[in-house]
Amino acid sequence: MLIRQISVFLENEKGKFAEIARLLGNNGINMKAFTVSETQDFGIARIIVERDQIERAFNLIKSNSYAVTMTQVVYLECAHKPGAMADAMERLSAAGISVEYMYAFADSSSEFSRVIIRPDNTELANQIIQEL
Amino acid sequence: MSRDEMRELQSEKLRKIVSHAYNNSSFYKKRFDEHGVRPEDIKSIDDIVKLPFTVKQDLRDNYPFGMMCVPMTNILRLHASSGTTGKPIVVGYTEKDLDNWSEAVARCLTAYGLGNDDMVQIAYGYGLFTGGLGAHDGVTKIGGTVIPTSSGNTQKQLQLMQDFGATAVACTPSYALYMAEEIRKQGLDINNFKLKVGIFGAEPWTEAMRKELEEKLHIKAFDIYGLTEISGPGVGGECECQNGTHLWEDLYYPEIIDPVTLQPVEPGQKGELVFTTLDKWGMPMIRYRTRDLTYLNYEKCECGRTAVRMGKILGRSDDMMIIRGVNVFPSQVESILLEFPEYEPYFLIEVDRINNTDTFDIQVEVKPEFYTDQVNEVVRLRQRLTARIQSVIGIQPNIKIVQPGTIERSTGKAKRAIDHRKFE
Repeated sequence: MLIRQISVFLENEKGKFAEIARLLGNNGINMKAFTVSETQDFGIARIIVERDQIERAFNLIKSNSYAVTMTQVVYLECAHKPGAMADAMERLSAAGISVEYMYAFADSSSEFSRVIIRPDNTELANQIIQEL
Repeated sequence: MSRDEMRELQSEKLRKIVSHAYNNSSFYKKRFDEHGVRPEDIKSIDDIVKLPFTVKQDLRDNYPFGMMCVPMTNILRLHASSGTTGKPIVVGYTEKDLDNWSEAVARCLTAYGLGNDDMVQIAYGYGLFTGGLGAHDGVTKIGGTVIPTSSGNTQKQLQLMQDFGATAVACTPSYALYMAEEIRKQGLDINNFKLKVGIFGAEPWTEAMRKELEEKLHIKAFDIYGLTEISGPGVGGECECQNGTHLWEDLYYPEIIDPVTLQPVEPGQKGELVFTTLDKWGMPMIRYRTRDLTYLNYEKCECGRTAVRMGKILGRSDDMMIIRGVNVFPSQVESILLEFPEYEPYFLIEVDRINNTDTFDIQVEVKPEFYTDQVNEVVRLRQRLTARIQSVIGIQPNIKIVQPGTIERSTGKAKRAIDHRKFE
């Protein structure tokens, strides 16, 4: 399934992610998943929120003078068992798809792990994921 | 006029003006005497290097009328530049000075292809600022029609420009861009305007701005150069070739000096622009240091004019910083940023000395539409800028991308460099 992700450019300074988390928190927006990738002097936070809150979250962050972008990513519910992820990734690479970055959230109370994938070819990757 | 004839004329005028300044101003007499030079020592224009420099502080020290070389009864007009620090700079003009000034502006207008059929809207401020009245007198000199709107009230500017059919507009290039934006916002059709020429000056501008102005306003955009101390706008102007600003050197003699050694540089080399007013009697300026950095081109122009051409203003000599032994001008960083569509044209340079090595940090902002969710793309964008600055300036900067809106936006006087180094 294709979902939308919010990416926020953050200077690599103390408290920067807290600012974003607080901004969303104060406005009743819950982060369902996130990851931060960092370099020496900046980072990019990628955030998933509820589908019906994404526009509001995006506008809220933007209007507070952060550089923010919205990107389509592939959402995969992967069986929570050994080898399931390997199967999925092999299918993607067999189709010539590279993954730019990905992050996952496993929950032992569920039979699925939730995986967010940012491939170079989003449409094709989504199609393959559907067929799994 | 051939270059030899020009030199002959310049030599004759220099002898007269130097003698006038020495004999009628206690300031110049004292300055020449201290420097050990007398008017008789000046035989040709080549002898100009024997003369002492004049600087802006001299005008402040002699506020308001201490540098006038004629009785005030012969001064027909005063102008002043708004000093952001201390007292303003005051200049006074005799009848002949005003006539020469309007002649200089008229030459610019003619070079832009304007004549007595043209209607010029002057949206430079009228008042103590030389822009409004200077341009005004020049248009009158060529027999054109003046629309003296002065600056501001953009809605009315645009209405009159359209209704009267102004064929040219004189203003700062940034105000012209603002007007272009207003035309778009108000849903006006540029085809209903008769503009063909833009006369832009009073602030530095770039080729990118020229292109934008020409496209949006359907004009040819020309530079007009000048400074209050020398007379005002019209010290030089571009011709139809748009390949350098012709300086009217029979009136304003230009030199380029090394701002550190104060010696003249080889022809064509970059340095600080210095002017001597050869035919200005109320308040002559002898070897006035403009602090503008540029270069001169003495080759005959394709337009046929032999008048020397000045290149783009590359920066201000008083902004120069020496970082790791290399001369760095903030304007260099600005012009590089303008090459990149991804970056905003705003920046802040910070220099410090850590472990006996100069640091060279530059804060920049990426335009919102160029942000991405991918770290690598941002890193690549930063590397491209780093490499470009290193190749142009010669030292490697540490580029720091900051969040949108972090860098101060005010134009002109914005603090663009901070030097934290302590030299004691």
